[in-house]
Amino acid sequence: MPNRLPERDGEWIDRSQSVRFRFEGKTHEGFAGDVLSSALWANGVRLLGRSFKYHRPRGIYSLAGHDISSMVEDAQRTNLRGDLLPIEPNLDVRAVNTAGSLERDWLRITDHFGRFMPVGFYYKAFHTPRRLFPLYENRIRKIAGLGRVNPKGHLPPSAKDYAFCDFVVVGGGPAGLAGAIAAAEQGLKVLLVEEHPHLGGSLLWQHARDEAAREQLKDLLSRADALENLTIRCGTQVAGWYADHWLALVDAERLTKLRAMCTLVATGCFEQPAVFGNNDLPGVMLSSAARRLIYLYRVRPFERAVVLTGNREGYGVALDLLQAGVHVVAVVDLRANGEMSDLAESVAAAGIEIFKHHAVYEAVASRDKTSVVGAILCPLNEQGGPESIGRVKLSCDGIVMSVGWTPASGIAYQAGLRFEYDERVEQLIPESESDRVFVAGRAAGVFDLESQMEDGRRAGLAAAAACGRFEGDIPERPVHTGPPPSHPYPIMPHPGKKNFVDLDEDLHLADFKNAHQEGFDNIELIKRFTTVGMGPTQGKLSNFNAIRILSRLNGATINETGSTVSRPFHQPVSMAKLSGRRFHPMRHTPLHAQHLALSANMIHAGSWLRPEYYKIDDSSRADCILSEAENVRSGVGVIDLSTLGKLHFCGPDAARFLEQIYTGTFSEQRVGRLRYALGCDEQGIIIEDGVVARLSEHHFYVTATSSGAAGFYRDLQRWALLFEMDVTLVNETGHLAAINLAGPKAREVLRSLSDFALDDDAFPYLAVRQGHVAGAEALLMRIGFVGELGYEIHIPAGTATHVWQKLLEAGRELEIRPFGVEAQRLLRLEKGHLIVGQDTDALTHPYEADLGWAIKAKKPFFIGSRSLQILAARPLARQLVGLALPQSSKVPLPEECHLIIEDGEIAGRITSVAHRTTLGQPIAMAFVTPEMASPGREVTIRVAGGKLLVATVVPMPFYDPENSRQKVAD
Amino acid sequence: MPHRLLKFGFNKEHPEPRMFHAPAQLKDEYDVVIIGGGGHGLGAAYYLARDYGITNVAVIEKGYIGGGGTGRNTAIVRSNYLTNEGARFYQASIELFQDLSREFDLNLFYSERGHFTLAHSPASLRTQRWRAEVNKHLGIDSEVIGPSEVKRLVPEIDLQCGGHLSPIHGALYHPPGAVARHDAVAWGYARGADRAGVEIHQQTEVTDIEIRDHAVIGVHTDKGFIKTGKVLSAVAGWTTAITPMVGLRTPLTVHPLQAVVSEPLKPWLDKIVVSASLHLYVSQSARGELVAGASLDPYELISMRSTLDFTEGVSSHLVDLFPMLGDIKIMRQWAGLCDMTPDFSPIMGTTPIDGFYIDAGWGTWGFKATPISAKTMAATLAEDKDHELIEPFNLSRFSRWQLVGEKGAASVGH
Amino acid sequence: MKIIHCPINGPRPLQEFHFGGQVREMPVGSQVSDAEWADYVFNRSGEPGIQREWWYHTASGTWFIAERDCQSDEFIRTYLYGGRESDA
Repeated sequence: MPNRLPERDGEWIDRSQSVRFRFEGKTHEGFAGDVLSSALWANGVRLLGRSFKYHRPRGIYSLAGHDISSMVEDAQRTNLRGDLLPIEPNLDVRAVNTAGSLERDWLRITDHFGRFMPVGFYYKAFHTPRRLFPLYENRIRKIAGLGRVNPKGHLPPSAKDYAFCDFVVVGGGPAGLAGAIAAAEQGLKVLLVEEHPHLGGSLLWQHARDEAAREQLKDLLSRADALENLTIRCGTQVAGWYADHWLALVDAERLTKLRAMCTLVATGCFEQPAVFGNNDLPGVMLSSAARRLIYLYRVRPFERAVVLTGNREGYGVALDLLQAGVHVVAVVDLRANGEMSDLAESVAAAGIEIFKHHAVYEAVASRDKTSVVGAILCPLNEQGGPESIGRVKLSCDGIVMSVGWTPASGIAYQAGLRFEYDERVEQLIPESESDRVFVAGRAAGVFDLESQMEDGRRAGLAAAAACGRFEGDIPERPVHTGPPPSHPYPIMPHPGKKNFVDLDEDLHLADFKNAHQEGFDNIELIKRFTTVGMGPTQGKLSNFNAIRILSRLNGATINETGSTVSRPFHQPVSMAKLSGRRFHPMRHTPLHAQHLALSANMIHAGSWLRPEYYKIDDSSRADCILSEAENVRSGVGVIDLSTLGKLHFCGPDAARFLEQIYTGTFSEQRVGRLRYALGCDEQGIIIEDGVVARLSEHHFYVTATSSGAAGFYRDLQRWALLFEMDVTLVNETGHLAAINLAGPKAREVLRSLSDFALDDDAFPYLAVRQGHVAGAEALLMRIGFVGELGYEIHIPAGTATHVWQKLLEAGRELEIRPFGVEAQRLLRLEKGHLIVGQDTDALTHPYEADLGWAIKAKKPFFIGSRSLQILAARPLARQLVGLALPQSSKVPLPEECHLIIEDGEIAGRITSVAHRTTLGQPIAMAFVTPEMASPGREVTIRVAGGKLLVATVVPMPFYDPENSRQKVAD
Repeated sequence: MPHRLLKFGFNKEHPEPRMFHAPAQLKDEYDVVIIGGGGHGLGAAYYLARDYGITNVAVIEKGYIGGGGTGRNTAIVRSNYLTNEGARFYQASIELFQDLSREFDLNLFYSERGHFTLAHSPASLRTQRWRAEVNKHLGIDSEVIGPSEVKRLVPEIDLQCGGHLSPIHGALYHPPGAVARHDAVAWGYARGADRAGVEIHQQTEVTDIEIRDHAVIGVHTDKGFIKTGKVLSAVAGWTTAITPMVGLRTPLTVHPLQAVVSEPLKPWLDKIVVSASLHLYVSQSARGELVAGASLDPYELISMRSTLDFTEGVSSHLVDLFPMLGDIKIMRQWAGLCDMTPDFSPIMGTTPIDGFYIDAGWGTWGFKATPISAKTMAATLAEDKDHELIEPFNLSRFSRWQLVGEKGAASVGH
Repeated sequence: MKIIHCPINGPRPLQEFHFGGQVREMPVGSQVSDAEWADYVFNRSGEPGIQREWWYHTASGTWFIAERDCQSDEFIRTYLYGGRESDA
């Protein structure tokens, strides 16, 4: 590790743990605590990756998680940022987005064609002739993109957790620490979140040379440590801020969802690059990156450095470099008067040449273009632009940029704050704070170290006040004095080279000028046309320079130009963490285990799992279904109907309420009797059907469709409020199980198990009785959805298994068999019963579905009644009819939703079909036009392969039109 | 390298003129004022000029062109709708889209990828078959395919969805389903309209519409009053702010629709995949990002804020479908506004107010209809009569009880 | 995730609630024309600004009214239908 500096207090590396890792097939060594980029730099590796578009060589730039061009991948993971990725034993990574190897990436040739690819070039070519576009697109897509997805990748689920606090402080630098401590001292429950592995923020690198600052950090840390109500989470990013202080915290392990009362944004700033020729070469870096290398990772950044500055900080950096053994060739100051403070004297005293009112015009590249070998300086004219005379070339292997900052304002934006440009600091600062969202420190334009802590303390007290824990005076925010920490326009035009504004997207200065020339002259349009800020850093290092450039082009102020809104996430978050353990609600009926034991083929029905049919060895699915159905027709079967909605309507107004909900009448319904119930919405569209059982004068028990039950119950509760009725609703859907026992032998099975009279007089068709079945309290409804003698047995869920088993036992000799959803669908189709949602659609009203009989139009009101009155007066557009399909035809039978065709136009569709039935004939239900609806009429169905099949309209039900089967006497 | 790019390399100055101009001020009077500088409004201006020679037109945009739904949607174009009326309309849109790059001489990256609507249950397969049959009847390339065919065409898909929910039973496959560069559609129309003499006024807000005797006589803006006899409202998610100005009541409610984009990846997904059961749609952009969305936000809101629950949900469903995506990171989320109608079809055409035309109800399906709605609205304005293709979508269909039910094809359809 | 104040259960996360649409006055069917009835059935106000809405707290089965700014998403107040009020 030739560039490693001697041990120093506060370093992040653990020299006792040496770590060997592989990069681009070569083995390197670093220390635990190193990130990939720092470990490589320590070993003299400067080519860390290639850029997105031109495949230009890139090195360390920010060393703060924004170095997109040094992304790597391993066998499992991709798009890992080299400046965030901790090295560990067995780490074996290569650069993303290179063709061949990083060094020999043959796509680097695109760099030479850059002038043919101006901003938006892809809008201007490749589209003619049209047939060639797919070819071009394919090429372009292959070149675009960064990492490769590992098709076998499968991250284990990551748990999520929740956290709560009064006050969340985002950022563990001087302002954040001071704010957290101040609030915690007032008794607030405080959570301090720091994205880096250690607390300290800018104290760790910006103020590292300052002994007093180091003492201050120690003091802050020990005070924080002593506060039990202050929790600190390092290595955790606040990925996003959402309504009502709901924050997404992400660390290496998981997503934490935090609810807070107040938020302090003490996120500091992103250092901003200068724009000059070749400003992206490995060896050109932000001053904060150089300082991070020196103080956090103890790596000497360069041998010979030129410092480009526009602020006081650049002089401090020069001294830092000097102390780290770097030969500082020059400090190049963009400002006409240079630096006035004593720092300038120290720099001069150290023998470093200072070029006032100069800029770095170009970084000189080595022959292989992968490193810096010099800097060309130019004097500046009065407008701050480069002079063409008086240029100086200096030899160096590093150029450090210290020209200014922009606040890390994303979280503050998301929390509703807005920022404005302040010329005292030449950066954006918050326009104002809200009563629960605060900004402190450099993010608020406060740069003096003492002032930052004061500002943090102010915010902490304000939060305590907002939480009712502090009543004293809250100090004012300290005001910045002295020259601005940022330079207003650190951007040098450079005709020949590439002077990059956005390193994610390889956009250079001319791209902005050209986009502006084409009319993209406001910030949103220029962003979309150039794609500035659309890359993985989301413009953290480029948006603000883009705004500066656009302001100049428009001759407008920064505030007139405006800025773009920052959206989550702060740093990208993996889908594994976001998705967590992926819970999907899935409901089992109380009889689930019974079905599995009986070899049921389970299918999803909404959120429920239901038996589709019960498998029999060697029998096909269709055979199983038909034989289940035949067994119901000829003997007896049982089906689990526990998914039905099961609701109680109680109270003096229950009958009246039902009459307003459903299309039918219930006041006259006798106790102990059942009625069919049809429900419409306000448009008159069918939404619900079921059975209403009157258990007593003021008590009805109602079944509802499985999928609609929850929503229907919810709506009922509102109608009960609106109608101001004295009715109580109880949803017992999950509490009760239901089993339908159906078939001519049903009564026989039940007789041995129940304690009440089953004969036709005592328990007629469409009656309801309460009693016991197999010892369990049960409610029995004699109905025949499947068209046979049948009893729907409703029992407490806990007794379901027992009752089910007893029914099967009692019916064993009668060859009882369970039947599934498919057999039931077949049986009800034979009986001509429609299924809401299958035989009706989002616009079907009762008249179309031949359910006009269910509408008691004389009632003064029910939901949908007025609409149905309108619809009844209109000619029908379609009608639901039965179709008899040919038994043997060369043309295949239709599938559900095949169309009826008449005169070449669509005249309807099949809603339900059964190819094999207990009737021996294939049948269907279909919508047809009213002209086609009369029995005997032939209709043409377009079936698979576009073939046409003729079917005949027949009356429904297909089976037992006299309803004799359901009423079968004992 | 196409020869068209050579001029950029060999010219010292950037050889491209402005695509559109920023007129200094509003004129006193226009033949037509179009509210909304999205694809629909700019397109209507373009076709008014191209097809009818009506060029004394102002497009009034309160923000910047293409900044609303046009620039916020996930750029999917398809015509596999459920109703005759819908499918014909969107098919006509596809046909215009296919030729739009040539017409504009601007590459819209109109990329026919193939569009899959996955079915996770027999019931949803049934709806897909319905759509397929209607589509085929109208000559639209659309068919139901089985799970093995889905797997063959999108090998990365997990047909079992991780065992968490109902497996994939099949899909509606629509080969012409495409994605396009949505912003460029607005720019192309803007450039064409601008060249024909249409004025595009950005950062100009309509504050009121002046009506006399049930007819439009002018428009108030924050930059002054304009006389005009014809106003087209083409503001989608902001329609409910405009219609009260003319006293028009509509069924529109506005909900946000959110979307996410991943970090750029090398291409692996060249199809558009939609799952209604998972409330998910996803495609991979030419830049390599996965662009994914889900269903509408569950309550009315005229705001483009983001929520975490959305991103958690959409990520979870992406991993259900493509287990390998666990490692892939979501980079950004955003939202757009959807003006929803009860039947999931648009509201277009003439209104009871003379000279006030509406192009709204674009819900989640506005981008794909951009060229055809622009063209038919231009015809409707020019001739003061609903174009034949949009007659079924007139606002009066609700009081006539003649809805155009597209819910089965439009909700989470994209 | 937003917090909504249920008049019965106090502040609870949005996830526990179901949006029930705008509060609308149903006209007496026999007293309005077909067109007026269609207006009630289909049309909504939808304007940016404060609107009265139905919300349902699913866990407890509570329907209540919220006055909410549908542009800023701020709940102004919530109260039971015809009943008790709670500050949002």
